[in-house]
Amino acid sequence: MEQSFPAIVSVSQPSLGARLTSPESQGAAQEFARLGAGLGLAALYGLALGARSGGVALVQHALGASAGLAAVGVLGIPALFVLLALVNAPVSPSAMFSAGSRALASAGFVLAGLAPSAALLAVTIESPEAAAFVTRGGLTLAGGIGLFQLTSAVRAMLKDLPPESRMKCTALLFGFSLFAIVLAARVWYSLPILQGAA
Amino acid sequence: MNSQVLSVFDELLRSPRAIAERSRAGGDLRALFVASLAALVLGAGVFGATLATSRGGLQLLYSGVKLPLAMVATMLLVVPAFHAIAAGLGRPLSFSGMIGLTLAAAGRGALVLVALSPLTWLCFDRGLSYHPGVLLAVACYGLAGVAALDLVLKGVGFDARGFAIVSLFAAVLFATGGQTAWMLRPFLGRPSEPTVPFFRHRESSFWDAVQQSSLSMFGVYRVSQALSEGAGREVSQEPGPRTENGNESR
Repeated sequence: MEQSFPAIVSVSQPSLGARLTSPESQGAAQEFARLGAGLGLAALYGLALGARSGGVALVQHALGASAGLAAVGVLGIPALFVLLALVNAPVSPSAMFSAGSRALASAGFVLAGLAPSAALLAVTIESPEAAAFVTRGGLTLAGGIGLFQLTSAVRAMLKDLPPESRMKCTALLFGFSLFAIVLAARVWYSLPILQGAA
Repeated sequence: MNSQVLSVFDELLRSPRAIAERSRAGGDLRALFVASLAALVLGAGVFGATLATSRGGLQLLYSGVKLPLAMVATMLLVVPAFHAIAAGLGRPLSFSGMIGLTLAAAGRGALVLVALSPLTWLCFDRGLSYHPGVLLAVACYGLAGVAALDLVLKGVGFDARGFAIVSLFAAVLFATGGQTAWMLRPFLGRPSEPTVPFFRHRESSFWDAVQQSSLSMFGVYRVSQALSEGAGREVSQEPGPRTENGNESR
């Protein structure tokens, strides 16, 4: 049982983080904005990594960091919706889109938060292996949080299902998680810093 | 304002929960910011100078200035990560509250470092050598870190999710803080160096240094790639007259 946590009441307007990660479903335009913000924020992490080599590497890393998240959003989430629908899970396209945009926005926001540390580490660490290790750590952390957000949101949609159907959906979610990890890793491994670029 | 600041010092040590709740609630956090920053600068300065007693001279001043600088720089770098991790795991706090919480935690940790300074000085005074000295400093940072993270944990919620947030934040803090301090080294001073530099030139990374010091304690020295003609290898030494590793400085 999760412990209740006092709400923050003194902040008149929610912070950017609260808005990006809020579980409230919004209109399509707002969801697209949330998705775009998430991908844009992920590019900040890429820029931080690209600072190691500078020049074109800045753009390569910025695009690559966002592309990993975008790939999961474009290739993975629609497929997950189709598979869940096949087992009669009570999910709608709009709810899945909302859950997906929130998950990608969360991952992007975490990557942006890690960007200052990543810039310091990428620029000052001499060893390419250590720099790659730190990069993998940041991507794993952000990707893990995004995946956690997505699976939590989908599981919340499934809470009224009978146990047998819920088990099928859980298995599908597990399979999706593995797919998302491999897909994101496939895209992120194209980053020069992970290929040993000095 | 002064009395408020002094009472915050007391609260930092005795009532981390009250400090955490005040940070979470937001509002006027000026007294908390000032007191925490003062604790951070003073505490880290005293501990930095204590580490330099093994070398003495100008190193006392340099380390007393550089350790607070390293801690403040680390705080600036990791607060966005902390904010993002907490929000990503469903515990969004206001950014000012997050700064207050992080600064208070760092201030608390620095006060713990002050408390550990006399013991550290005594160890160096009794002849603690260079490599065990480095590990003693790491142990002191570890203890201070635990005190600091305790306050952070009270701020994000004392449950499984709170633990997850604090653990992930600690990992980011460890990597960033370690590397920041590594860039600003030396703090103890290289024993074989005739002069004391303010900054050492860039070499290797923090993680390599911790690994190397641990091995050196057991008489195992890693020979650099250049020396071993392209292949890294390790050399074991029999206990005897201790030679300091010429490539190291912390």
